[in-house]
Amino acid sequence: MAIRSTDPQQHATGPADEPKAASKRMTNRRRELLWALIFMSPWILGFLIFMAGPMLWSLWLSFTDYDPLVPVTNFIGVENYQELFSDPKIRTSLWNTVFFTIFNVPGTIISGLVLALLLDKVGRAAGFFRTAFYLPNITPAVAVGALFLLLLNGRDGIVNQILRSVGLPGPSWLNDPAWIKPGIIMMMLWSVGSTVIIYYAALRNVPQVLYEAARVDGASAWQQFRNITVPMISGAIFFTLIINTIASLQLFTEVYAMFFGSQQSGAAGEAALFYVIYLFSNAFEFFNMGYASAMAWLLFVVIGLITLVQVKASKRWVYYEGAE
Amino acid sequence: MSPRRMPLVALMVVALLLAACGGGEETPPASAGGSEGATEVSGSLFAFGFGYESGDEIAKVRVDRFREEYPDAKVSFSESGFEEQPFLSALASGEPPDVVNLPRNTIGTFIARGVLAPLDDCIAQQGIDMGVFYDAAVSQVTVEGTTYALPEFFNSRIWIMSNKAFKDAGLDPQELDVSDWDAIAEANEQLTKTNGNRLTRIGIDPKLPEFLPLWSWANASDIISEDGLTSQLETPGVAEALEYSNSIHEAAGGRTKFLDFRDTWDFFGEENQFAADQLGANPFEQWYLNVLADVSPNVDITVRPFETRDGEPFTWSDGNAWAITADADNPGAACAFIALMTAKDTWVEAGEARAKMRNKENKPNLGVYTGNREADEVIFEDLGLGKWPSFEQAVQTILEVQENARSIPPSPAAAAFETAWISAVDGVMTGGDDPAEALAAADQEAQEAIDAAAR
Amino acid sequence: MAVKDREIDRSYIPDIDRPQEATQPGSRAANLATRAFFLATLLAATALFVYPLIWLLSASLKPAAEVFSSDFIGSEIRWDNYTRLFAMAPMLTWTWNSVIVSFLAASTVTISSAMVAFAFAYFRFPYRNVIFSIVLATMMLPGAVLMIPQFLIWDYLGFNNTLFPLWAGNLFGSAFYIFLLRQFFLGLPRELFEAANVDGAGYFRMWRSIALPLTRSALIVVFIFELKVAWTDLVRPLIFLRDVELFTLPRGLKAIIDNPQIGGQQQWELLAAGSVIVTVPMILIFFAFQRYFIEGIATTGSTGK
Repeated sequence: MAIRSTDPQQHATGPADEPKAASKRMTNRRRELLWALIFMSPWILGFLIFMAGPMLWSLWLSFTDYDPLVPVTNFIGVENYQELFSDPKIRTSLWNTVFFTIFNVPGTIISGLVLALLLDKVGRAAGFFRTAFYLPNITPAVAVGALFLLLLNGRDGIVNQILRSVGLPGPSWLNDPAWIKPGIIMMMLWSVGSTVIIYYAALRNVPQVLYEAARVDGASAWQQFRNITVPMISGAIFFTLIINTIASLQLFTEVYAMFFGSQQSGAAGEAALFYVIYLFSNAFEFFNMGYASAMAWLLFVVIGLITLVQVKASKRWVYYEGAE
Repeated sequence: MSPRRMPLVALMVVALLLAACGGGEETPPASAGGSEGATEVSGSLFAFGFGYESGDEIAKVRVDRFREEYPDAKVSFSESGFEEQPFLSALASGEPPDVVNLPRNTIGTFIARGVLAPLDDCIAQQGIDMGVFYDAAVSQVTVEGTTYALPEFFNSRIWIMSNKAFKDAGLDPQELDVSDWDAIAEANEQLTKTNGNRLTRIGIDPKLPEFLPLWSWANASDIISEDGLTSQLETPGVAEALEYSNSIHEAAGGRTKFLDFRDTWDFFGEENQFAADQLGANPFEQWYLNVLADVSPNVDITVRPFETRDGEPFTWSDGNAWAITADADNPGAACAFIALMTAKDTWVEAGEARAKMRNKENKPNLGVYTGNREADEVIFEDLGLGKWPSFEQAVQTILEVQENARSIPPSPAAAAFETAWISAVDGVMTGGDDPAEALAAADQEAQEAIDAAAR
Repeated sequence: MAVKDREIDRSYIPDIDRPQEATQPGSRAANLATRAFFLATLLAATALFVYPLIWLLSASLKPAAEVFSSDFIGSEIRWDNYTRLFAMAPMLTWTWNSVIVSFLAASTVTISSAMVAFAFAYFRFPYRNVIFSIVLATMMLPGAVLMIPQFLIWDYLGFNNTLFPLWAGNLFGSAFYIFLLRQFFLGLPRELFEAANVDGAGYFRMWRSIALPLTRSALIVVFIFELKVAWTDLVRPLIFLRDVELFTLPRGLKAIIDNPQIGGQQQWELLAAGSVIVTVPMILIFFAFQRYFIEGIATTGSTGK
């Protein structure tokens, strides 16, 4: 980022002034540091009290059997982590979460890209469509969950009405364990709007000269897409890949609103048990905070590993022009 | 007597008079913990799991009565139904409610955790005779001889049958032999109606997963031992009951079609499944009759008791209960409160309020099943249901079967136990699990939870 | 293809005031027929995105038995769905709670993030880049790891079952907004601050009277974004709130989904009405501040990580 200025400290006029200027520089430096700290203090405080502290605390908790309702807390070493491997619900919830992520992330990227490309072709009308696509993102997640409880009803929901009108059978999205996750994927794909906006902005930033030069060279539309568009917006694709993966692995609100809470969940209890939902339930419904903390750290490690892999792999296909 | 002794004698006379009147109309102020001399019922009192503003007339009238009786006490409410998580978190953060209104089915967990106070002293102070409550209710709030809560409401389950649907299928609701499982299955086939591929009426809704205990009892099997310490889910009788009741869904074209259709019912509205002829019959909790009385009073139904396969009528009852938390700030007022809320006269007053309301709306008054025998006697004496023969017959049936009620005994891991068997049934219902295997797994899970909680 | 830096406009300083509408009319658009085809496809896509919301509104005004139908208007328009909902659940209280929490959350995070961002943009101090990297790194922390200890901290401070923890975390700034605002502050000419410095203005004055006014648009973006995040949050109310009277609208809507007595699963028309009420304020704000939303998102994507 360009910091457009010259060094304001260069007031020195001659060798005689050096010592004075030097000491002035010192006080100015200290003054800057002091004020910088003042301005940063909110974040520093927050970081220490609400991030660094809690992280360490959470790590410690994961080695205990802490339950806020039980007066005695025992240090139990790696027992929680061992439990993570033997608890069938961990496997179920991890599987549900990963399954969802595997479909949702590429689905979002591809449909987002398709829509953005379409937007790019219609000139000024793009603004209207862009607004429309973003409307689902502005809808509160709980309302989205409630809405899809209605839309996905197996017998009378609109989704199945549409499917049946074109001759397809309408599965029981809410009661059939095989169709619950696909229903959730469909619901989350509805919120592809923000991804579309990011891609559209990236597409608009691709210089026209590249396409013109390619056309002159006789490149086809597909070749232009593959060799110009994709590399030029690869930064945006990479960004959305990371963000969406991390978000998908932590999906909570919509699914919790629909299937969990104080009412019984039926088929969804297994099929829609996402990892963070199971974590939440361990922490705040069963109050097994030690175990839940271990779950949280496992999630942290999983997200970290996946992100690391994505970043490493990005060197191959993300195109950065020049130095950042 | 010397003048100095007069006041003392007067005091003794007054005390004697109060003692004589105690246990009747006017309950004298008393403290829960048993102490020397009566304490004033005053101060503030917080009740969790109950709503005044959000409550109906039955709730409001009883609370109003308390406020009249004890003007020095200020009672406030959480205005929400009982939920375990907020309750436990309130306890954890050192802000326990004084009293809590919670379902009798899960109270065992909290008794085992030691968060509820034993009520023996309070009961003695208030002069309550636990015998006025139905056995099935009292057994749910008593652990090892100590009572931990006062029962409120008696929620029984009976068959509700749609006369219209039965007639349509050429059946007579009174004649159906509900102790014969084959007969029920056959009626189910005949009552189910489809329009092409679309289900338009469910024949019989077995109310799974919630009603597994009912079907088990009908099959002479208990899902848990009487002392609440041994899970009996793996008993063959239970698996048989599960398999049978689950097979009822087949007539509707499978479980998912069944559930999808049921999800669309206008349960609490005018177009409910009975009014709209979407259901033939189901066992259900009797409070639903109140809903019907409200939204479709002229609905044509027959109510019959559930029966064991040996032909014996019985019911499965539960309800709520009022308990005092062990760390309550104001146990004295708490004791007075719960005693009054479940007392005969309070109930009678509430029943009268309901009768008045219903008469004004020209809707049937179905009374209120209080769990207190004496109160029920008065309330149900004359409900004036002549205009609504369906409901008249229903109310009588329920009253009669209350004495033959079963209930789930309290266990130290009540919530975990319930979760275990409900998950098992869900797995069988929607995942196609084998009933015996699912129940065996649930049995093990439940037993582990009970053992862990009982230590 | 080799591309020289010079040929590309790398002005990564986002410019709110020049929305990126198409400025090259002919060159990007294909011929008329293909354009029409693309328009048609986009219109179809729009229907997919917008129809569910319209359906929700119409469902909320239908009689219970007709909720699932695809007709726009039912046999009668039931305004009483809304009145019944308001009678059964404390919607007004919930709305008020949501308003308070959202505004407090948005205001505090804007101010605090602006402070911290200014520190990273203007001042020079040792390890500045290292610390900023740490700030960025905190964006990657899964909330689940912090959830439990943060709950315990607020509980210990006595703020359990109050609205405070729902917004007070924003007093400390948020890495995402710090990042965003720093971009904007970096775009301001340093000479402006030098002039003020010469005039004897303190740093705080510089921040308040120069930096903030000049980045007004970005501040609005941050405010609006956080307003939406705070309004729609379910997790914090789930964790911290016990009393029904304290619920925010999303938490209240969840309570309605759970509780058959106040609407719940079998009273779909009330659930639809509740969903409409939770959503409408967001839609209104969106239409009023549309370009800020769009620009904000576009910015985050274009600056990458």
